[in-house]
Amino acid sequence: MNNPINQSNDRDRELQTRRKTDLAQIPAGKRFKVVKINALGEVRRRLLDIGFVKNQAGCVIREALLKDPIEVDIKGTKVSLRRSEARLICVEEAD
Amino acid sequence: MSTEPPPVQRRFRRRLGRNRLNAGGRVIRVALAGNPNSGKTSVFNAVTGQRQHIGNYPGVTVEKKSGMIELDDKLLEIIDLPGIYSLSAYSLEEVVSRDFVLNEKPDVIVDVLDSTNLERHLYLLLQFQELGVPIIGALNMSDEAETKGIQINSEQLGLILGIPFVKTVGTTGRGIEKLLDTVMKVAEGELESNRRHLNYGKQVEISHNAVIATLELDPEFKNRYSLHWVAIKLLEKDQDAIRKIKREHKYPQMVLEATREWQQRLEKYFQEDSEIIIGEQRYAYIHGALKETVVQTGQPDGVDLTEKIDRIALNRFLGIPIFFAVMFLIYQLTFALGNPMSDLISRFFSYLSVQVNVILPAGAFQDLISNGIINGVGGVLTFLPLVLFLFLGLSFLEDSGYMARAAFVMDKFFHIFGLHGRSFVPFMISTGCAVPGIMSARVLANRKDRIVTIMVSPLMMCGAKAPVVAMLAAAFFPEHATIVFWGVWLFGWLMAFGIALAFKKTLFRGDQTPFVMELPPYRRPQVKSVILHMWEKSAEYIKKAGTVILAASVIVWFFLSYPKPPSEGVDFRGNNIIPIEYSFGGRLGKSIEPVLKWAGFDWKIGVSLVAGVAAKEVIISTTGILYGLDSDESDESLQKEFFVKEKLSRDPNYSPLMALGLLLFVMIYIPCLATLAMVKKELGSWKWPVFQAVYTLTVAFVVAVTVYQIGGLLGFGG
Repeated sequence: MNNPINQSNDRDRELQTRRKTDLAQIPAGKRFKVVKINALGEVRRRLLDIGFVKNQAGCVIREALLKDPIEVDIKGTKVSLRRSEARLICVEEAD
Repeated sequence: MSTEPPPVQRRFRRRLGRNRLNAGGRVIRVALAGNPNSGKTSVFNAVTGQRQHIGNYPGVTVEKKSGMIELDDKLLEIIDLPGIYSLSAYSLEEVVSRDFVLNEKPDVIVDVLDSTNLERHLYLLLQFQELGVPIIGALNMSDEAETKGIQINSEQLGLILGIPFVKTVGTTGRGIEKLLDTVMKVAEGELESNRRHLNYGKQVEISHNAVIATLELDPEFKNRYSLHWVAIKLLEKDQDAIRKIKREHKYPQMVLEATREWQQRLEKYFQEDSEIIIGEQRYAYIHGALKETVVQTGQPDGVDLTEKIDRIALNRFLGIPIFFAVMFLIYQLTFALGNPMSDLISRFFSYLSVQVNVILPAGAFQDLISNGIINGVGGVLTFLPLVLFLFLGLSFLEDSGYMARAAFVMDKFFHIFGLHGRSFVPFMISTGCAVPGIMSARVLANRKDRIVTIMVSPLMMCGAKAPVVAMLAAAFFPEHATIVFWGVWLFGWLMAFGIALAFKKTLFRGDQTPFVMELPPYRRPQVKSVILHMWEKSAEYIKKAGTVILAASVIVWFFLSYPKPPSEGVDFRGNNIIPIEYSFGGRLGKSIEPVLKWAGFDWKIGVSLVAGVAAKEVIISTTGILYGLDSDESDESLQKEFFVKEKLSRDPNYSPLMALGLLLFVMIYIPCLATLAMVKKELGSWKWPVFQAVYTLTVAFVVAVTVYQIGGLLGFGG
């Protein structure tokens, strides 16, 4: 507490580990930034085609009744994906 | 919808065939490409008008639309490619599109782009550009972009990407003439459309060039394909490209080894999969190009109309009630408007049948015309209003953008049973008629989803089963007819979901198919395109169902009429002779009676069920004939139903238990022939309708026997 530099480093580290998560964890209304796609095959290709590329910012708009699927805004397009697919997208929370 | 004709019509004529092609005249072939929701269909309609030819791409069941137009004495053939997001090899539509461009080498590709979302839409354009065919970008929906304050410098964008761009509005026809001018100029070589590919950045380019170098070793292959494209696809590990190398390249081993080596180098350098690297480079390139050419003036209003609607329509709790309300509305419209029309058509054919009986001399020919042909054709056309309105509703859903929302709302539920959210479309339509229901299964992009959906859709209560079930319910359960009817209706749905789940767990297991789906902005459907769509689908229904049902009714008629009994009147025991007992159908019924007995059915029911395969509503009239209803009396269908109902309820051989089994059997067993024919058409092989007929018959029989036997053991029999 007496050392502000150490403190901020700790917080940075904490933020980094806390913030890297997958898209399924992002609540509706929150923004995110794509870090990496962990999907394979056709799912990966579709995600890529529709605009899930590294550093792309987006926003989770809403969830369906049973919290699945979710609607996401990416590159100005509204996209729906299942939670199981969202789990394969590694993202960072953004403010 | 604007009433004034688009200005283009003045200069060019639309035409259907090549019949007036001048000697030596060349047809300029233009492929129309674009993402789904880019307004491609509206551009296609604006160019070709109503004169469209609909077929399939060779060997597959992907719909191919084309149209011929004449422009300045030149003939242009416009070929509509399927709407796709990318040129990978994961979906049939994508493979069809690239094979068309690679093999048929159209003169020009017109890529229709949504101007309000260029970044996403240029992604496909760049991939087409790599195929080595001149390409033009149609900046469609440019009016919407203007209202949103998006200013596109199309000349400069053209300079950067090396291809011409034209601003268009497909729905009003604005810019279409200029687009066609540009097409002509590019086709004639007056205007350049650069075939170069984009720069993927230093690292990718090194690998790319290395792979190209090995590809060049086969000069024949070099002449056939754009090596830039093949090399990039190989680095992306595209299965179709690898197959092409194995089949067509002289040194497949060498090429594939070099590819693997360079692709691994790339992946090591970027610490990422090569497919992702290349995709990201494409987006980075587009991003750069748009930065210099597109300006957003003024901030768009905080919440657009689509979002405002979705806040209600996709609300977590309101979404599902709204979905059911929309479906209910479509049903109400279909039945409120369709039923009176159906009645009218049905009455007309009854009248026609009576007239034929009056005009023609009694005999086999009269019988064939009135009971075989007129009944058959009448049967098809009676359902036409229903089909028409269902398709009207469907194209409205699709064009407005609600379809994707409905899939979003319903997906979780359908997914539990291994189906896709969009499966609700064929299911819903099948509750009217399974034939259009199966046609509508095209909304499912994935083949496995589509096959499973098609296999179970006919288990629903359809417009032809409904009167049969209603009649049987009224005959055997007069006090609970309504409850029994809706119980059986629900049973159809449960069977469809249950069997779909069983199929997904056994025969159609496999890879997860992506649900990733665009929710397009809401748009007002255009009357013209909705009508056009409805007309196309209905014509398809008439063509397919018409021919099959006509043939089937003649066969069934023959089957139940021949051979004739040796003498009229009474047999040696003094019983009345029912001619049908002597027919092939009657004999068949009697020969399978020992098996049917397990379910409590007698031969009469057997015959009716066999006849019902032609069309389910035939069950009523066949039963009528079996009980001695003279075919001349069968003109008023209400009377006929009443007669059959009375006879059945008084038959001492039938128990309520058997009747329940029969109801369930009718719900499940073999779909009508028109449905089977449509299944064959849609899935491209006889294997599927045969499988469907066998499994439905088996399940139906097992269910009916179980009900009868177990019920009997429990003491509900007799």
